Amino acid sequence: MKTIEGLFYSKDHEWVRVEGSKAYVGITDYAQHALGDIVYVELPEAGASMKQDETFGSVESVKAASDMILPVSGTITEVNDAVTEDPALVNQDAFENWMLIVEMSDPTELEHLMNAVAYKEFCGEEA
Amino acid sequence: MSTLKRTVLFDEHIKLKANMVDFGGWEMPVNYPAGIVEEHLYTRKKAGIFDVSHMGRFVITGKEAVKFLQYVLTSNVLALDLNQAQYSMIPNENGGALDDAYLYRFYEDEYLLVVNASNADKDWAHLTEVIKGFDAQITNQSEALGMIAIQGPDSKNILARLSKDPNLTEPVKNALNIIELDGKEVRIAKTGYTGEPIGFELFVKAEEAAAIWRLLLDNGAMPTGLGARDTLRLEAGLPLYGHELGLDAEGKEIPIFAVPLAKFAVSFAEAKGEYIGRSALLKQFEAFQKIMNRDFSDLTALPRVIKPIALSEKGIARAGFKVFKNGAEIGYMTSGTMVPYYKTEGHGLDTLIKDEKAMRAIGLALLDSDILVDDEVEVEIRNNKVKAVIPPYHMRGDAPPFARPILYGFTETYVADASTDYKAKALNLLEKSFENHMWRQEESINLIPSEQTHSSAVRLLSILDPSFRYAEHKKIKSFYDYDVFYYQGTKFIDEVEHQLIEELKKYFGCSEVETRVTSGQMANTAVFSAVMDFKNRVNRKRDASRLGYVMNNHIIRGGHLSAQPMGALHDYIAIDPVTEKPAIVNFPVLKENSFKIDVEETKKLIAKYKPELIIFGKSMVLHKEPVKEIRAFVDEQKINTTIMYDMAHVLGLAGDYFQNPFAEGAEIVTGSTHKTFFGSQRGIIAANYKETDLKYGLWETIETRAFPGSVSNHHLGTMLALLMAAYEMNHFKDDYQKNIVENAKYFAKCLKQAGLDVAGDPDISYTETHQVIVRVGYGTGPEAANRLEDNNIIVNYQATPEEEGFTASGALRLGVSEMVRFGFGRQEFEQLAELMADVILRNKTVKEDVRKMRSAYTTMKYCFTDADIAAAMNKLGRCLPL
Repeated sequence: MKTIEGLFYSKDHEWVRVEGSKAYVGITDYAQHALGDIVYVELPEAGASMKQDETFGSVESVKAASDMILPVSGTITEVNDAVTEDPALVNQDAFENWMLIVEMSDPTELEHLMNAVAYKEFCGEEA
Repeated sequence: MSTLKRTVLFDEHIKLKANMVDFGGWEMPVNYPAGIVEEHLYTRKKAGIFDVSHMGRFVITGKEAVKFLQYVLTSNVLALDLNQAQYSMIPNENGGALDDAYLYRFYEDEYLLVVNASNADKDWAHLTEVIKGFDAQITNQSEALGMIAIQGPDSKNILARLSKDPNLTEPVKNALNIIELDGKEVRIAKTGYTGEPIGFELFVKAEEAAAIWRLLLDNGAMPTGLGARDTLRLEAGLPLYGHELGLDAEGKEIPIFAVPLAKFAVSFAEAKGEYIGRSALLKQFEAFQKIMNRDFSDLTALPRVIKPIALSEKGIARAGFKVFKNGAEIGYMTSGTMVPYYKTEGHGLDTLIKDEKAMRAIGLALLDSDILVDDEVEVEIRNNKVKAVIPPYHMRGDAPPFARPILYGFTETYVADASTDYKAKALNLLEKSFENHMWRQEESINLIPSEQTHSSAVRLLSILDPSFRYAEHKKIKSFYDYDVFYYQGTKFIDEVEHQLIEELKKYFGCSEVETRVTSGQMANTAVFSAVMDFKNRVNRKRDASRLGYVMNNHIIRGGHLSAQPMGALHDYIAIDPVTEKPAIVNFPVLKENSFKIDVEETKKLIAKYKPELIIFGKSMVLHKEPVKEIRAFVDEQKINTTIMYDMAHVLGLAGDYFQNPFAEGAEIVTGSTHKTFFGSQRGIIAANYKETDLKYGLWETIETRAFPGSVSNHHLGTMLALLMAAYEMNHFKDDYQKNIVENAKYFAKCLKQAGLDVAGDPDISYTETHQVIVRVGYGTGPEAANRLEDNNIIVNYQATPEEEGFTASGALRLGVSEMVRFGFGRQEFEQLAELMADVILRNKTVKEDVRKMRSAYTTMKYCFTDADIAAAMNKLGRCLPL
């Protein structure tokens, strides 16, 4: 499994990349691998305000559906139409193909997330 | 993990880096690195292999093996011949399924039952308990045997390459055989769980399974896991125990008849007798029949049934999701996901399967029984109602070698001429008819063996005045069977018809001919109807009993469509109460030459089944039919039967260069008059009964089944033309028939020398008729025939006895008769063979060579052509108001 240094990771297998007050959110390589061929991605409308740990969408493979849980609270400013159009992009590169961008309302929430090393360990335990 | 069971192929899956999961207590590959989508698609386009060794395999033997199986399964085990398999259910007393299962009969006295892995222990406990009441034994062979499925259009090619017996099995679903692969004995079944029309399941010794697995991988099959196995079966609409069978979402039994396949898996045959769950199943069956007729008045025995469902909006409907119609809950999804398919381009048989893939969200649902195909419904997905529809099916397998996805809402379009200018339409039609005529008559070489160009005289006569008239007539006993006509103005036709009958009697050397039927198929229908009527003549106060048994050539062995239950026999053939199938026995063929009837085996079958009617004749015909041998046998055995010979293709060869049907013992000959017999497009019935014979009554019935049974107007123009053709035939037949057979043999040899794969027996120069069969490669017949047409050579693609049907055909059927009539001889056929090899083997363009060659042969031979004839024809031509 692949991880990237400098990102934040949630126990629900989402990653967060912070650029100022903006947070890019996606699912991890571990998650895409566990799901297998991703065939459907459902995302919310841009403009919605959501809280940390709320379900913001779902990602589905042939064999399973999985909810996506928002790792940080805020307003959704943009969703990535490319992945809803071609969900297989997520299998190709889960870190490149983000799901949405959140204007964070409380950046301190990031402290509850894991770094790459901790996440790797977390996945190891789960397996 | 250590408690999970492993199949004999476990190490192979690990080597292939499979994603292993717990499946019903087994550690199984859900997918390999290629992934479910690729594995699914590769199976549909090429071939996937599946480890199905986790399934339970039980062998049942003993004196009461059949009796036991009849009691414990829903299917009719008596209908299962040697080397056949059947789908079945293991029912409980409530008419629910303990499991679904497949029963295989590889050996006369041994039945192999394959059950689901997750139910194997439960099934074993049930079966071993029930068998105590029977003189039969059951053994668990699950560990001794490995089981590998290979599914997909290429699976047959892969196995055929590896096997010493390239025929593998009969080319029909559920056929079995025992073959050798890589020196290992393999039991092979044309069965599977993917909906693929071409697919096999292999039973191998456990210790040899890994070697066979690797052999198949090395030869182009892709390892395919349980994930794709599930999407493949879902797309095919096949039930999975625990989803579509077993208990429903509320823990209630799903009735077996809720599954569409139940109508094949459940039998109420008298011969089957009482069995577990029969009375509950009978109630379900009664409800099922009502539902089929859209009578929803009482659905208690079958409140819900499994239906396919396709989402019309974005989303994926998963198992368990609720389904609504007009706001009311009507059931729930039993299975559902998104499955991949390849996009296609083009129409019909020319449909091209592209490399571009797409996905669609489909499923199966247990829905109220009054839900109909095309109903618009909704599936609740995470609190949203998503639109969906009930399609008739998700996929079809009736155009082998490919299973083809059916996208809901797609409709084929034909180019329509929307113009309302009828004069322009008329001119366009005339122009196009001219182009077509010139192309067929002067520019292209026709090798379709069922066609003929008529002589000018035959053509001209077919459009003269009688073609507008009626001339119904009937023999009247009061007038000593003198024909009485109903209309005036028919004296000429009366004369023509009687002369035609006399010429044809002379041609066949028989006593009776009926010429009013207007096609060969109609001739057969009239005969079958008459034979059935004659059988029932002594008691007409009850429903007439149908014919059974009837012996014929199977359609995949070249048998005529018109002599099949799906053709002209349809309304006259009985259903065998034991097997619940049409009471047909097919002529067995020689192992080494499947184009030829095996006379000794035929005799055994005749002695066993005592067929009421024996129908010789084929449309793919390389050999004489053994009429003489079978006549001698039935006479000697005093078997009461009727021997008919549908000569259609070879009607124009009746005589010393081929065979004399009546001299050899046929009683009735039917046929179409426009194949090797170069007349107008009609049918005839001939017979050889004396007026003192008991069966003269059959002949009289045949006449009444022709008129008024089949025709009122018997197409007088073509009948007049047929008389001319009969004159030509009786005059020229010695030369014509000799040249046809000699040229066909020579053409076959030339094709072989040109590098083509000519089917049949080289010792007789491949053919004894006008036909030559050339193999071009499994499934490639239509493509090769298209390419030849592009080069002005017209042939028809043909499924050989090893192939599944015309869409999978790998051969071309060629006939020399039309070109012989246009003057082709050895030199021309040799040249033509080279041109054909250029097109078929080297993909060359030879259109101009063909056009040039053909243009030199436009004068018809074997017909009257001198100055007197020409003058008479000109006189007739002048009476046409042109």
